[in-house]
Formats: sequence, C-alpha cells, structure tokens
Amino acid sequence: MCCQGCRAAAEWIEQLGLAGYYDLRTAPAPKPTDQDHDSWRNADSARHVIRDLGAGRRETLLLIDGVRCTACVWLIERALGAMPGVVSVQVNAVARRARVIWQESKVTLPQLLQTLSRAGYGALPLDARGLDDLRRNESRDALKRLLVAGFGAMQAMMYATAIYLGAVETLDATTLELLRWLGLLVATPVVLYSARPFFAGALRSLKAGRVGMDVPVALAIFAVYAASLLEAVRGTGEVYFDSVSMFVFFLLAGRFLEMRARHHARDLTDAFASLTPPFADRELDDGTLQRVGIHELRVGDRVRVAEGGIVPADGVLLTERCRVDEALLSGESAPVTKRRAELLIAGSVLEDGPVLIRIERVGADTALAGIAALVGRAHAERPRLQVAGELAAARFVARVLTLTALTAAVWTVIDPSRAFAAAVAVLVISCPCAFALAVPAALTRALGALARRRVLVVKPDAIQALAECTHALFDKTGTLTETSLSLADIQTFNGVGREEALGLAATLARESRHPVARAISTAHPGMSGVAVSEVATHAGLGVSARVEGRALRLGRGDFAIHGATLAVEYDDAVLLADDKGPIAAFRVGERLRADACAAIAALQAQGVTVLIASGDAESRVSSVAARLNVDAWRARALPADKLAWLTELRAGGARVLAVGDGVNDAPVLAGADVAIALAEGAELTQASSDIVLAGGRLDVIAPARAIAQRTLAIVRQNQRWALFYNLSAVPLAALGFIPPWLAALGMSLSSLGVILNALRIGRDDTVQRATQSRSSPAAACPRPAS
Amino acid sequence: MNILLLLIPISLLFLAGAVWAFFWAVNHDQFDDLDTPGLLPLGDSDKREEPRP
Repeated sequence: MCCQGCRAAAEWIEQLGLAGYYDLRTAPAPKPTDQDHDSWRNADSARHVIRDLGAGRRETLLLIDGVRCTACVWLIERALGAMPGVVSVQVNAVARRARVIWQESKVTLPQLLQTLSRAGYGALPLDARGLDDLRRNESRDALKRLLVAGFGAMQAMMYATAIYLGAVETLDATTLELLRWLGLLVATPVVLYSARPFFAGALRSLKAGRVGMDVPVALAIFAVYAASLLEAVRGTGEVYFDSVSMFVFFLLAGRFLEMRARHHARDLTDAFASLTPPFADRELDDGTLQRVGIHELRVGDRVRVAEGGIVPADGVLLTERCRVDEALLSGESAPVTKRRAELLIAGSVLEDGPVLIRIERVGADTALAGIAALVGRAHAERPRLQVAGELAAARFVARVLTLTALTAAVWTVIDPSRAFAAAVAVLVISCPCAFALAVPAALTRALGALARRRVLVVKPDAIQALAECTHALFDKTGTLTETSLSLADIQTFNGVGREEALGLAATLARESRHPVARAISTAHPGMSGVAVSEVATHAGLGVSARVEGRALRLGRGDFAIHGATLAVEYDDAVLLADDKGPIAAFRVGERLRADACAAIAALQAQGVTVLIASGDAESRVSSVAARLNVDAWRARALPADKLAWLTELRAGGARVLAVGDGVNDAPVLAGADVAIALAEGAELTQASSDIVLAGGRLDVIAPARAIAQRTLAIVRQNQRWALFYNLSAVPLAALGFIPPWLAALGMSLSSLGVILNALRIGRDDTVQRATQSRSSPAAACPRPAS
Repeated sequence: MNILLLLIPISLLFLAGAVWAFFWAVNHDQFDDLDTPGLLPLGDSDKREEPRP
C-alpha cells in the first residue's frame, strides 16, 4: 500500500467481493485525481451528456481514464453493476468507453462517477451525440457483407473445382449444368448484397463527375457476373462465379480492416476532451464563486483555478506569480514560472495556487484546440500511400478493362463466336489473385514478426515508409532521456561531507512527491534511526523538518535560506539549509535512456541521418546531442517549429521518421512520413503515430527497419512474380491455349509461391544481421560526462 | 453422381444456417467488442454482493 487512499480502495474492493481484481490485473493503476462530481447535478450541464430512454431510464457514455489493462474493465463492470438502479454497463477496453444505463429514481450520475472515482478511475461523460449508433451500424454492416462474400466465395470455389476436375475426367452435361446453376446461386448474394458498397460508390463518383476507384471495380464485378450469367443460361462456355466472389471478398476484407483502423484512431483522438476540465469556477462581481460548465465561459470572465487544477481556457494571470506545468504545449516536464499579465494556456496544470485568471480565448480558439486541429490536419493530409495504392489498383483494373475490350474487338474480327469467352477469360485470369496476395501476405507476416519484438504497427502503410526513411527526427525529453529526473550534481558548503549532505536531504525528500524530491530520495535511502519531527511540505517551495533537533529546509533557494541573498548561479538548484546557512546545493538532470546510444548508432549504421528537435533549453539539448553524436539538432522548438523543420526536410526530398512520446509531438508525429511512439508516453501520441514501441525500448527501431526493408523487398519480388505470371498467362488465355484446369492449377501454385516467399520475412537471420550492425558502434559510444 | 442431388441441397442448408447464425450473432452484439468479454469468465460471477451503503 503506497498510501491511505490505496488502502481504503483495497478494503472497499475486498468488501464488495471484488478481490479478484488483484489476481487479474497486470499493471498497477494510477491514483485517481479528485474530481468534482456534484457539478453534474446542474441540469444544464447534464443535459449535454445524458440521453433520456423513457420510463425513467437514462443513458450516458463515459470516457474512462486510467484503463491500463483488461482487469480494469472487469472491475468497472462489477463496481457499477453492483449499484442499485444500474440497468446495464458495457465497457470497451480498447476505446476506453463505458455505456451505462440506469434508473434515475434510484441512482444519479454524480453517484456513478463517485463510485468509479473510488475504484480509481477518472470518468468524463461524453457528449450524448456520441451515443448514436452510426458507427456500430457501419461496422456490423461491413461484417455481414464480408461474411456473405466469404461463404459465397468458398462455395463457388467448390463448384468451380468440380467443373475444372470435370474437364480432366469426364463429367456429363447435366451435372455440369447443375454445377453452373449452383455457382450462380451462391454468387448472386455476393454480387447483389456484399458488393453493393462498390456499386453505390461507383454511382456516387459518376454522379460527381469523376472516375473513382469504385468505378472499374464495379464494372469488373458486373461484367464478370453478367457474362457468367449469360453463359449459365446459354449452357455453353465457362462460368466465373468463383472468381467474382473471391474478388469481392478480397476487396471487402481490405476495406473492413481499414474501417477498423479508422474507428480505432477516432476513439483515441477523443482523448483531447479529457485534457481540459468540464467545469470552471467563475468569480462574480461580488467576489463569490460560481461553478459553470466550460462551454459557458466567455472572454473577459474571471476564473479561479485551485492548486493542482487544470487551466480551463487560455487567459492572462491576474495574481502575482505562479508555476505551471505546460508539458502539454512544450513537452518539457519542468514547470514554468508565470508572472502577472502573462498568458496561461488551457490544459496546463497549476503547480501552486490558487490563482485568478482573466479568460482571453475559449473553445476552438485556445492553443490546445490549435494542437488538436494540427493533429487533425496532419491526419487529413496523410493517406498518400493509400491514395497511391488505390490509384495503382485502379490503373491495373483500367488496363485489364482495355485489354479485355481489345481482345473482344480482335476476336470479333477473327471469330465472333469466341469473342465473348476470350474477353471474359482475360478479365478473370488477370483477376489479381497473386497480386491481391502479394502485399497482404508479406505485410501480415511482417506485422507478426514485428509484434514479437514488441513493435506494434498501427497503420500497415508505415512498413513501407519505415523501410524508405532517410532521416530520423527524435524528440529529446522522455524519448532519448528518461521521464523521471535524476540527481546530477551535489555541491556542499563549509566543508560538509557529500554523503552527509545527501543523507540529510534524502531524509527530507522522502516526505515530498515532487519529481525533484523523488530524484534526491532515489539517490540515497535517507538516514535511518534519526528523529524526524515537525515535517511540513510547502507547495511549490520545498520541505521543512527537524532532524535530530536541527531545523532543516530543502527546496528553492529563497525558501531554504529564508530571505538571505544567494548567488544567481543557484537559481536553478535545490538547496539544503539550516538556520546557520546553506549546507548543500543539488542539481537534477535528465538521464539518457540506456539504449539511446546503441539505437542511434544502429540507425546511423543503416545510413539514416539522425536529428533531435526539442522544446528544451539549448545547453541541455546540445549536451545530449554531443553525447549521442547526432547529425543535427534544434532547441527551443515549439510544435509548430518542429513541424516547419519537418516540412523543410521533406521538401528537400527526405523521408522522415519521427520518434516521440509527448502530447506536443502529436502534430509532428502526424505530419511525418512515419511516426513511432513509445508506449509509456501520453496515449494521445499513439493516436497519431503509425508504430508503437510497446516495450519502451529504442534499440528495436533499427531491427524493425531491417524487417521493413526485407518486407518491401519481398513485396517487390511477389509483385514481379505476379506480373510475370499474369503477363505470360493472360495472352495465352486470350488466345484460348490454356484449359481452365491448368489455369486454376497455375493460379494456385502462383499464390502458394507468393505466400511461401512471404514466410521468409522475420526469420532470425534478418534480425541477427541488424543486431550485429548494432553492437559494434554501440561500444564506441562515449560515456556521459558527469 | 445422383448422390449429389442429396448432398448439395444439404450443404446449401448448412450454408443458409451458418449465415443465419452469424447474422443473429452480429445483431446481438456478439462482435461489437472482441476484447472485453474474454475476461468475464475469469471472475466468480455468482458471488455478487450488494454494496454497502
């Protein structure tokens, strides 16, 4: 138990018979933040988030903070479900949402939030419009169409095999006829039901006056189906119901995966909603406070923010001074001191308070909303690869259609009776079976190989971009360095021993949870067996206590030595002092990740230019850059500056890989060719990143790039093979030289070859090569000077 | 080959049955969340107690 709160929560969980939580959980939960739930009693605020289902039943959608592992889902469902009046609870772990229906007469929204808070989860009711079923219907629809196409394709293939085999052995005409009609029977739902989105899409784009991706697809489906239908009715020639069903199935499968990724991405971007508080305390003219919903704030309002509170909207400081954590905007963990009339930005956390601010910008005008918009815009600009792929596919189909028309025209001149059959043969044998498998087989294999190394690829497009990247742009704080601070330097006064000074400081630091104090107490366990009394923590200043009768203070310079003046050089240091004067000065610094050196050296060995862009001070960035031997760096860079640099690099022809972890990286990550986020970083970054490093290790980037390059090579081999197969098979089929069974055999063997080739990805030799290239330069990496 | 006349209709019936079952499952929330329900059997469900006031 780390604190009283945890003990209380554990006891409460035990009482409810929910102790199974501790058996199930795989990650410790964060401490809940105190939230003001009673404000939701205000009918005006609640109206936005609660939907009335009639008969006293209410429904709301909660965005739940702190769902770390799936055990949390279990706890949330049990905790809420055990409350009287709760009708149903549905938690989705991936989207971090809970849909709750309750009887209003028995339980209220604040009580629900209170229960969640006691279980350790912050919950934010989302806009009731999020409850609409649009998305659910879309995903259900897609699933049904996919399944019908899959079943249809399987059955049609079965009948087609019988027909092909019938060409070898003898099959009587009646059975052949029957098999054709059966093919028609199973392919009809596939074309009329499953393929409807393609027809609808084609119609839409034709109405809009352009030829979209769906037009050739719809044409191909229609042509093959209509031709086969005609053949079945006439009882002559070949039917291609299997091919048309397979075609529809493969296309739908691709779209289904894409839809899933899109939904998932949208879930995560909603996390912006939880960065600002839902309420603010507005100060009225008579000095009293009025609690209002954040959407009611107007420019010019005076708002009070308590210590540890979150600034609700951009505003200027009216009180003397305060310290805020602007990690949101700058990504740097050290708090910033603001003085009167300076601007505080929405979403930043107040380290000491309370303060009064005058609202300057609200809603969509705030800096936070600006970051969100940047992410959104970068997202909108992204799918170049996707567009290129679709264009290539559309071109391929268009060429096939041209070839088909050409074949039909030529045969009409030579022998009109065979024109139709030959044209359809071309359309079908070129139906990209090996093409369709070439990319997905290799990608699926690569995704699996990467996942085993704890590199999770969110967008499969990223593999190509990762293989092709020429520059790697790293964020510094939290990416190359560890998020927690560490003790860098101790300077003692008046001949006090280092060990003694550190021991005293650690004894005091144990009492505070401030990051700096934690850095000191990690460096030394503190003195044992000494009498410590009168411990007091002074928010934003430091800790004071009496150790063995000696009054000690640890903290900011002006706090520690009480009014006495101090040299300017100790401005950024933490001082330990007693009544006589200063004892020691401590400086904390960032520690490089253990694998940062090796990771960067390995990337450079692969020929990648490594860059650092950081919002931090120039001196710190340059020292890190020198230690890591990177090619170029920029300090004091805001997200917009980083994005500008990125754009500049890309304009120069570079393909940029961005690695980061903070919220401020989101626009940069979204704007890069390929983005990698460390999983322990802010979750929002993961939303706009293509790849997530779940193990939090940087040295997997270079091996991952090696795998990506291998994948790309294999995709190219596969495509070349598919092209070779198609180029040799299509003309022969068009000339009528290839009997159906041989075509089927050739097609299966070519598909099999593609899959077997893909299985070579991620075998150990690839990784070993990457590891070898990593180990030697890593040894040459200079030790950090300290 | 006459056996086909029996076996094929049976296979088609199976197919129709499978499609119907799948549609039923989709319409009854079975595919909306594939991650969470896997955990539910891990708890002992019948030991639910009323929370203390």
